[in-house]
Formats: sequence, structure tokens, C-alpha cells
Amino acid sequence: MASDLLNKKVVQMLEVKEMSEIARGAISRPSAKNNPAISEHAQKPLVFDIFKKEAKSLKDYIILITANAKNCQKAIIDVLKFLVNEQGIAGVYVALNKPYEIMQRNLENNGIDSRLIIFIDATSRAEGSKKVGNCLYIGSPEKLSDMSVAMDQAVKALPTDEKFLVFDSLNTLSIFNRPATVARFIHFLAGKMREWKIKGVIITLEKETEQALLDELTQFSDFRIDLGGEP
Amino acid sequence: MAHLIVVSITTVIFGVASLLLISRARNRLSEGSIRKYLDNFAICLAFIVVFSIWQTARSIFGIDIQVEGLGTYPEYIFIVFAYIAFIIASFKVLKISEEFGFKEDGRKIEQLIKQTEQAKNAPRKAAKSGRKAR
Repeated sequence: MASDLLNKKVVQMLEVKEMSEIARGAISRPSAKNNPAISEHAQKPLVFDIFKKEAKSLKDYIILITANAKNCQKAIIDVLKFLVNEQGIAGVYVALNKPYEIMQRNLENNGIDSRLIIFIDATSRAEGSKKVGNCLYIGSPEKLSDMSVAMDQAVKALPTDEKFLVFDSLNTLSIFNRPATVARFIHFLAGKMREWKIKGVIITLEKETEQALLDELTQFSDFRIDLGGEP
Repeated sequence: MAHLIVVSITTVIFGVASLLLISRARNRLSEGSIRKYLDNFAICLAFIVVFSIWQTARSIFGIDIQVEGLGTYPEYIFIVFAYIAFIIASFKVLKISEEFGFKEDGRKIEQLIKQTEQAKNAPRKAAKSGRKAR
């Protein structure tokens, strides 16, 4: 009897928590108000499902994913799973957070074919640039020129009509570069993504990214997926 | 003689203008391979510009150098250095192409995609041929 009551209470509490989270999710999307072109997404559905619903029919797009530290990695895996496994597209992954080896291991653990991805690793502090397998080590997130050239070359080298570029993540760039430089780089990146006609995904941690930069990027992107609420 | 001076001065102006353009480009680039290549290229150009300045000065002032040995033609030294710098710059470009060239990766991916498609289509083809046989 007592355990039944306790169970009911727990279920009630969980329901209330879920409702409040949904409400909070609906409120925490001020950027969508500013830009009607941006579709609003609920916080709860998985990135994979959102992609399946919104982006499956689109040939090229720019999607901004704002996540929190806890769900960021899951979001990246979901995105890559959708693009590589579900759609069978080859692409480029720019890593500023996790080194190539770790990323490759994560992808393998999640059943994603990493051979279809060209990696550009700007995390590992290597002496100059060097290439190992399908990964180019840039050496530092400060080397934006090298990163741009590498992205351009990698995207153009892909032989398929459909290709993707995942940029992980914008907030790391802000740590190593001045805000004005990052803003210019983002302009460049968004423009290039349109020019290349690819499926572009830019990931950033919402709390770590300047609001002005986020708004700017939101305007460039076709969709914004907010995962940045409570974990 | 006057024509020669005009041509020499024009060459120097072009050279200096090129150096200024490279300097502006360099300032826009962040640290990395591309910037290093630009540095090498600037050194090559600098030697050629110095060579041109030397020749222009000689044409204007009519300096006739009569020194024995290597010093007979000092401008040749600049040209030799320019070519050495060109070799270094070309080597740098080769390295950059090795790093930033993804053509081979692209080819591998193309093969992989073809293999995957073939593997996907194989059961369908087998089913079709099975139906035809029946």
C-alpha cells in the first residue's frame, strides 16, 4: 500500500517535471521569434528523428545545433548516424573538441562507417599540419586559414553529388580566437556551405556561445535545433 | 639607354607593389602552412626586387663594376638566392599539396560507395534473375 502510494507520487512528480521542461523549451526560443525562417523544434525529440523529419527531403541546408555539454556528443553521433548510415552520404567532419582517434572509436562503437568521412582535426597539438589516413591534423584551432583551405579541398575532393560538413564546435573557436575573427569565419563558413551546396551542420554549446554570434548564425541557417535546455 | 631606365624603374615599381600586396595578404591570414608558404614566396620576390633595384641603380648612375671573381656580377648573387628561395617555396607547395590534397581520399570514398551500392543491389539482381528463371 505504502509502496503504491510512493510509486504514484514519483510518477506525478516526473509528469510535473516533464511538463515544466516542455514549457521551458517553448519559452527558451527567442531567436525563432526574431527570424520566422527558422523552424521551431521541440527539445525532447532526438536529433536523429528531427533530421529524419525535417532534413531528409532537402538536398542542401545549414543546420545549427545548440546543445549543452551533456547532450552534445549524443547529438553529433545522431547527426553522423543519420547522414552516413541512413542517407549513405560521404562528408567532412571538423573536430575542435575531440581528437580524431577518440572520434573514430566513438563512431565505430556506434556502428558508423568512418571510412566515408574525411576528418579535419584541429584539437591535437601537432607540430605543423600532417596527414594520417583520412585525417588532416591542423595543429591548432587558431589556424583558421589552414582550416578553411582544408575544408574547401576536402569538400571538393568528395566525388558524390550529396555531401555533408559537420563543424564541431563553434564555441571552441571562440576560446582560441577573437570574437571578431570568429564572426568573420562564421560568415565565411556559412557562405561557403551555400556555395558548395552541401548539408552543413554547425554544432555549438549554447551557454558558451555569445548571443550576438548565435543570432548571426541563426539567421544564416535554415533550421535551428535547440538542445541547450536542462540536460 | 633612357628606355632601359624606364623599363627598369617600371620593373622595380611592379616588384615593390607585389611585395606590398603579399604583405597585406599575409596580415589577413592566420598562422599556418599557407602563411608560411606566403613568407617563402615573399622572400623569392624580395631577392628579385633587390636584383632589379641593383640593375636600375646601375643603369641610372652608370656604375661599372670591375671586381674580380664573384663580385663581378653582384646581381647574379641575388638571382641565385632567388632561385634557392624558389626551390624552398616549391618544396613547401609540395608539402602543402600532400597535407591538403584529398583527391586520394575522395577516390577511396568513391570506391567504397560503389562497393556498398553493388552489395545493396546484388540481392535484388539475384531475385530478379531467379524470377526470370522461373
